[in-house]
Amino acid sequence: MSESLIGVARPRIDAPDKVTGATRYAADGYVHGLLHARLVLSTEAHARIRGVEKDAALQLDGVVAVLTAADLPVVKSGTDRAAEPLARDEVVFAGQPVALVVAESEAAAEDGVEAVVVDYEPLPAVVDLEAAMTPGAPPARLSAEEAGGDLESIHAGVDKGEDDAEEEQLSANVLDSVTRGSGDVAAALEASDAVVSGTFRTPWTYQAYIEPQVSTAWLEPNGTLVVSTSTQGSFVTQNELFRAFGLDFDKIRVIAEPLGGAFGGKFALVEPLAAGAALALRRPVRVALTRTEDFQATNPASAQITELRIGGRKDGTLTGIEARMLVDRGSNAGWGVEGITSLLVAGPYRWEAFDLRGYGIQTNRFTFGAYRAPGAPTAAFALESLVDELAEELGVDPLELRLKNALVEGDTAVSGNPVPTFGAVEVLERIREHPLWARRDSLPEGEGLGLAAGYWPGGNEPAAAVCRVDSDGILTVITSAADMSGVNSGFQVIAAEAFGMPPDRVRVVTTDTASGPYAGASGGSKVTYTVGAAVLKAAEAAREKLLAAASQELEIAPDDLEVVEGVVRAKGAPDRSITVAELSRKALRFGGRYEPIEGHGGSAQTRGAPSVAAHLSHVRVDRETGEVELLRHVIAQDVGRALNPALVEGQMRGGATQGIGWALFEELAHDEDGRLLTGSFLDYAIPVAERVPPIDTLIVEVPAPDGPFGAKGIGEAPVVAAPAAVVNAVAAATGVRMRRLPMTPPRVWAALTGTEEPS
Amino acid sequence: MPEPLSLVVNGEPRRLEVEGRTLLVHALRDGLGLTGTHVGCDTSQCGACTVLVDGRAVKSCTLLALQAEGTEVTTIESLAADGELHAIQRAFVEHHGLQCGYCTPGMILTVHDLLEHDHDPDEETIRRALRGNYCRCTGYQPVVESVRAAARALAT
Amino acid sequence: MIPAAVGYHRATSLEDALEALAEPDAKALAGGQSLIPVLKLRIARPSLLVDLGGLELRSIERDGDELRIGALATWKDLTSSLELDSSGLAGLADCASSIGDLQVRNRGTIGGSLAHADPASDMPAMLLALGARVETRSPDGERSLSVSELLVGPFTTALGERELITAVVLPVPPPGSGSGYASVEHPASGFPLAGAGALGRPDGTKAVAITGVGARPQLVPESGSLDDVEVYGDRFAPESYRRHLAGVVAARALEIAQVRSEGRR
Repeated sequence: MSESLIGVARPRIDAPDKVTGATRYAADGYVHGLLHARLVLSTEAHARIRGVEKDAALQLDGVVAVLTAADLPVVKSGTDRAAEPLARDEVVFAGQPVALVVAESEAAAEDGVEAVVVDYEPLPAVVDLEAAMTPGAPPARLSAEEAGGDLESIHAGVDKGEDDAEEEQLSANVLDSVTRGSGDVAAALEASDAVVSGTFRTPWTYQAYIEPQVSTAWLEPNGTLVVSTSTQGSFVTQNELFRAFGLDFDKIRVIAEPLGGAFGGKFALVEPLAAGAALALRRPVRVALTRTEDFQATNPASAQITELRIGGRKDGTLTGIEARMLVDRGSNAGWGVEGITSLLVAGPYRWEAFDLRGYGIQTNRFTFGAYRAPGAPTAAFALESLVDELAEELGVDPLELRLKNALVEGDTAVSGNPVPTFGAVEVLERIREHPLWARRDSLPEGEGLGLAAGYWPGGNEPAAAVCRVDSDGILTVITSAADMSGVNSGFQVIAAEAFGMPPDRVRVVTTDTASGPYAGASGGSKVTYTVGAAVLKAAEAAREKLLAAASQELEIAPDDLEVVEGVVRAKGAPDRSITVAELSRKALRFGGRYEPIEGHGGSAQTRGAPSVAAHLSHVRVDRETGEVELLRHVIAQDVGRALNPALVEGQMRGGATQGIGWALFEELAHDEDGRLLTGSFLDYAIPVAERVPPIDTLIVEVPAPDGPFGAKGIGEAPVVAAPAAVVNAVAAATGVRMRRLPMTPPRVWAALTGTEEPS
Repeated sequence: MPEPLSLVVNGEPRRLEVEGRTLLVHALRDGLGLTGTHVGCDTSQCGACTVLVDGRAVKSCTLLALQAEGTEVTTIESLAADGELHAIQRAFVEHHGLQCGYCTPGMILTVHDLLEHDHDPDEETIRRALRGNYCRCTGYQPVVESVRAAARALAT
Repeated sequence: MIPAAVGYHRATSLEDALEALAEPDAKALAGGQSLIPVLKLRIARPSLLVDLGGLELRSIERDGDELRIGALATWKDLTSSLELDSSGLAGLADCASSIGDLQVRNRGTIGGSLAHADPASDMPAMLLALGARVETRSPDGERSLSVSELLVGPFTTALGERELITAVVLPVPPPGSGSGYASVEHPASGFPLAGAGALGRPDGTKAVAITGVGARPQLVPESGSLDDVEVYGDRFAPESYRRHLAGVVAARALEIAQVRSEGRR
């Protein structure tokens, strides 16, 4: 046999098209007779719509229509964004789409938006999270809501805890409360040698994909609605459109175009707008959000407030953990991260007793949505800050404290489920071996090192794939998984290895809902683990067809054949051989004797494959200005098996960098009336090249038993503990513990000087 | 009111009609079908729309099309000659300098400008030069490595 | 985003530009790096844009004891000009290189920036410290204003409706002088939360000016005290922080300038 293809760094398969500008993203396709839409966004955080004055806009050159909720052929009731792409009678956040101006050009649509006048009757805006949940708080939404949306299950295959049984006096804005408990926490903390606590605040944060959301919809002559779109999931979008518009299921075809970044944010937000407009006007319509629209009208990650208390003993054992976590859902009545965040706040550790509560609260800010490891970075920020403080109180080394309590396979997690294969010990040990860790007590004044660990449980969803050899002799992998984070490049290696083909003779095609094998949305760190497993089986099935044909052709039993680099040959007699290309030509022709070399594979993973990562961050703090400069960052992550280490490292660095953004830069802020103050990249900072340090990647491989070649989903784990590591580094550098993210220079300076912190 | 615009795009003389308010990026994408130049923000931050005008990197969303009258515009589509990737493009492929790829054409053209004037930039210079090109996927390090590799390739 | 409909005229000469600017609500367009974003946001809605891009106002040259910078000189022109290669003028190049990003510096011009009068603009602090003046042309003729006369408030200048900046002129600091620029930037916009330009002369005299903290750039009084300096606060950076930061960057700019003036550049 030739050497394994697994674990070899190679360029992404889509790289040549992307460096030459050949890739067509969703905004790039040519459509005959295309109309362009712009959104009229609510200027009020909470109001009744008295009326929408369209006439002035309709007088303008090029404006074709001004559509409001009543004009879209929505059949579904409810308040989720597919059921209510445009606000009906009540707007519940500033930036909510109220009307759609459709025009012959983008410029004309923009002219039209300026001319539309919406008459609002303002209602009390609920913008303070803690006030929102107090009994007597005004409701953030008056209209009766109906929980809807299937999107929650996409993001994590974890249970969301039990509904809170205890009666607590809460306002109707609290849409959900979950609790997990075991043992007597009060007693456990009482018996601890040290107990530390804190209240931690994280703001709304924006996925900030560089490609704004865009969707184009048109009707085929037979009435089929075709939607070409920037989405993480074609089938999930088809389902949402089916529920929204009530068309025959087979009259909806969704094409997931190459994504210009998504990070959890691209799920059926713009598609109902484009589809609704196309259905209303019977003409092709493109909704390409401007960045300004995207900032206001999409679905960023929740703000959270976490009250956390943990205890430990001098021998380095963690005892009890008590958490109360408030999650701002904005207008999202369908789901929230209170379940997952209150699970992940326990971290990758064993606890003797725990009491973890999460509350999902509606306010008049945004519609909450998923963003890379939803709810996890804020949980890790709180926990890992306190673990460091506890270590100091107990006089225990912070790494050894984590190591001693790290979950291992067979432990029971706070979910009540047994812990599957888990690499927490391994990643912490790799950090301990890193030369930077040895320098932690000998850094110059003003510098500090911070350690933090965190994990993402990973998700599961049944999936299918097809592998076939085409008449050009290329093995074609066909799936419906949106190519996010380079999953197609992973499929290429899986299929090549399983089939016996050089990777450069494998192509990967992402197909649409009309013809593709089923795949769930690309999210929850599950694609490689689930769709990848289906690709593996499909390649094996195709290989069986190949061997059957070769066996007849060469008159050798299939068991005595091997496939090496695209050639089928007799084991031990390599000159008795036939190429895959030749066999496929013999199969794919009139009068051919062999079945097409084509296999179908499916997977239904049931075991979880969590990925855990530990970070080490090295910072220098300018005490005069409050600026935090990152000097170096190290991440060690258990990736199961690195199918293509270059892409794995890409996820690790990219995730760590987004975590650095959370730590230092990123915040969506509103004024007291709920209007967005940071609605452009002039105000909302993401990490730029000169603010990101070199990031060392330490790949740790603890194979996932059910993953393809041991691989697991790895996209989300690297963001989880990155902010916490930076926070701990700042504490090490300055002695000051920051309880609010991001750690902007004014906030750090205020903390250092004991002056009032900016809000 | 449409006005005539003539310029050289990717070596070819082109004539088209644009409005006074038409931005160069829209003239390239909608007028000439050159969709490798991307729109990522409204405020001249992200750099996804970067093209070369007379050899210098500029943000084509912050330039009226009519301001480019008589200039030579180079977009990502013309960088590879005769099917051979430009050294910068090859470096981005080989050193994993991209993921989603949306920022990549702009990145490459900014780097083209940088390397025209600085044949051996150090890491700090590269990171500073990329201040106006946002990437949300890579963490920039592979981009920096790609630029260094491109500089080495161009030097030989 | 796309600007509101607007006419366009490409000026063939300064006279032609001034004539075109006679149209009501006409506005001059230089590099466009400040103006076009404002047009896209539709904050500005001129009737006509008079493009100065074709005019020969880009040279940077020594003229006796003065440095003349054409109004259309780009930031990139400043950072690569050999005329700035002296310790006394090094702060000018520092400051230009801290503006925007590579692409913006390729297009953005010193005259356009001054005419835009963004209170958070970097360069005015450096120009104030260096004692620069601007030369202008209008149908009424030519005049010369100091930078503090020119910049009267946020996005407000002393320029008449048909008056164009043609050059920035500054006295070349005596040999042995040093200049420097220091700032702390907003992490998103890159504009200074506080920026300071400083000039130190060999006779020990100095000038420091700050920007980004108030309605307009301000010279720091001789005493160095910032107590009477006007400082704005906002959500991101409260007034107390900005005032403190102004002192920090002023000290840092002066330190750079003095180190350079001692010839240790």
